[in-house]
Amino acid sequence: MWAAMALIVLLFFLSVYGAFVGPQRAKDFFNGTALGVYWVAFGLLLAVGIVLFRRLLRVPALLLVHAGCILILAGAIWGSDAGRSLQKTLLGIDIVPTGQMQIYEGYSDNRVILEDNEIRELPFYIKLKDFRLEYYQPGHIYIQTRQGDAAWEFPVQIGARFQLGPQFGTVEIVKVFENFKIAIDGDSSAAVDEPGTGTNAALEVRIQSPDGRISTRYLFERSRGHIYPDAPLYMSYERVIRDYVSELQVVRNGRVVARKDVEVNHPLHFGGYHFYQHSYDAQAAEYTVLMVGPDTGLASVYGGFLMLCIGAFWHFWLRKLPKPAQTGPAEQTQETSKWKSNIQSRAY
Amino acid sequence: MEIKYTIQGLLIYISIAAYLLALLVSLLRRPRAAHTLYVLGFVVALVSFGYRWHHVRHVPMQNLFEVFLCLGMIYPVSVFCRRVLHIGGRSADMLIGAVVLVPAGFFFNADPQMLPPALQSWLFAPHVAVYMISYVFMTKAASHALWQLVGRDPKSDQNLLPPEEATYRLICIGFPLLTLGLVLGSVWGKLAWGDYWGWDPKELWSLASWLVYVGYLHYRYMSAKRHPSVNSLWAIAGVVVIVVTLLWVNLSRLFAGLHTYAAG
Ligand code: HEM
Repeated sequence: MWAAMALIVLLFFLSVYGAFVGPQRAKDFFNGTALGVYWVAFGLLLAVGIVLFRRLLRVPALLLVHAGCILILAGAIWGSDAGRSLQKTLLGIDIVPTGQMQIYEGYSDNRVILEDNEIRELPFYIKLKDFRLEYYQPGHIYIQTRQGDAAWEFPVQIGARFQLGPQFGTVEIVKVFENFKIAIDGDSSAAVDEPGTGTNAALEVRIQSPDGRISTRYLFERSRGHIYPDAPLYMSYERVIRDYVSELQVVRNGRVVARKDVEVNHPLHFGGYHFYQHSYDAQAAEYTVLMVGPDTGLASVYGGFLMLCIGAFWHFWLRKLPKPAQTGPAEQTQETSKWKSNIQSRAY
Repeated sequence: MEIKYTIQGLLIYISIAAYLLALLVSLLRRPRAAHTLYVLGFVVALVSFGYRWHHVRHVPMQNLFEVFLCLGMIYPVSVFCRRVLHIGGRSADMLIGAVVLVPAGFFFNADPQMLPPALQSWLFAPHVAVYMISYVFMTKAASHALWQLVGRDPKSDQNLLPPEEATYRLICIGFPLLTLGLVLGSVWGKLAWGDYWGWDPKELWSLASWLVYVGYLHYRYMSAKRHPSVNSLWAIAGVVVIVVTLLWVNLSRLFAGLHTYAAG
């Protein structure tokens, strides 16, 4: 059991070290050969512990906790890079490691670009039906004086008129554009909204200065405030993204076999892989970037998580904490001494 | 440091004041009055949390400000410990309540933020809530560990557990919650970022704090309680690492990691 303590304390220091070096270096460190040996040793020690200390077998809650840890370790090792190359050598199973897919709307693809830019192919295709951004409603218009001594923020609503005080007059929101375009017809041009063909969100505002002059301004979400460098007021149109949604279809042998709207926190799971919303075309929202990762070893890790949690609650909440009616120092002492004798009858 | 001239700020300050007064009155051996003040502080902390919830329209556990606001509602833990576990230390709880509200009242930014997509998950609230409850129990455990170290026992007429035993019991409550918090965070990481473990500093610090308690439990079992002071040191070390997990990683900005959205 001293060995167990040593490994636990060592892992504590290794974690602290990992926290100092940052995620990328920590990942390389914990996946390196030295740590590989450590993980296997930990797993083996847990297994040996279960065999040697009969109480770990006899008390189901403790068995759940310790066996849960073994499952987590085993699943994590099986799903790691080293585990996958082992599977390839031993079992001939070739799993595509974690990478990214970039898919344009209306197209399908099966190519995964790995971290080192190698391209691998999945045994099925993913088709992007549509990609869209969803925003918190309403958006906001921010107004500030050039000197920065006064600022306002208003929710966007067509027809809403805001008073900025006697010095600056009023601002009225005239139109909201999903995709602002200029339509040219002969000599004249006009601002039009063409939603669905791209994203260029904008606002048309009418400003009435205190002397009664009226001017029109366009505020673009993507180029904040650069358009009117000389105007006394700086204005911008801002929206907060609520979600990114990729409407996906899985195509195998020319047939759609699954479909799902993938959002952040709602990945698609198919054929041993998870597909996550990862990034998107910030200019025109025409393509999506998915992160693809194999689910190798995941069932074992999740099974271990479940066992660890059930075991911990069972052991500590149900076994260790006496029922409320019995809880008192008198019973406590009895329980403790019973417990102590258990402990002392153990040879370490 | 900034003073919040808002209703939210006012509620926090009233709550802190009530907790501190309760502590003072309790030290002056006026238990009834101390209890009334403690309850008052709790009710105001509850109102303050509810007000925030109404204001931001999501469970307010998104950033450090909200997390500390939540930690300030410590009274039910005191009642549970006294009634069910026979563990005292109410004065320390009053102090813990006031201390955790100070960062919310004076240091963290309270501007409401709309939830970024990654935080819109059913796992988000339970993950944070479970951690918070466990942190409260672990802090209380450390306060009893301190009493053990300075050799203070509860009066025999109070029907309360001695500090070493109390520390263990509190850790018995907190450890499964800490485990669940870690697991929920991992499952959420898988759903949101595609990996159940990202080797992010925040994750590694929470693993480190969990390991301190795993170490404590094994050490206490192994040593058969022959070295109660060492047990207490483990329990105190646990809270030190928890504080690092909670604060230092976010505030120091020393490490670039996934969890930076939680910075106050
Ligand atoms: C991260 C890994 C581990 C975790 C989470 C863990 C967890 C636990 C927990 C929660 C207890 C109950 C303590 C108590 O009742 O106060 C325990 C007891 C014990 N553990 Fe572990 N443990 C781990 C690793 C190990 C290893 C590697 C060994 C092997 C030598 C081991 C051997 C034992 C023994 C012998 C007990 C005493 C059981 C009893 O009550 O009779 N543990 N462990």
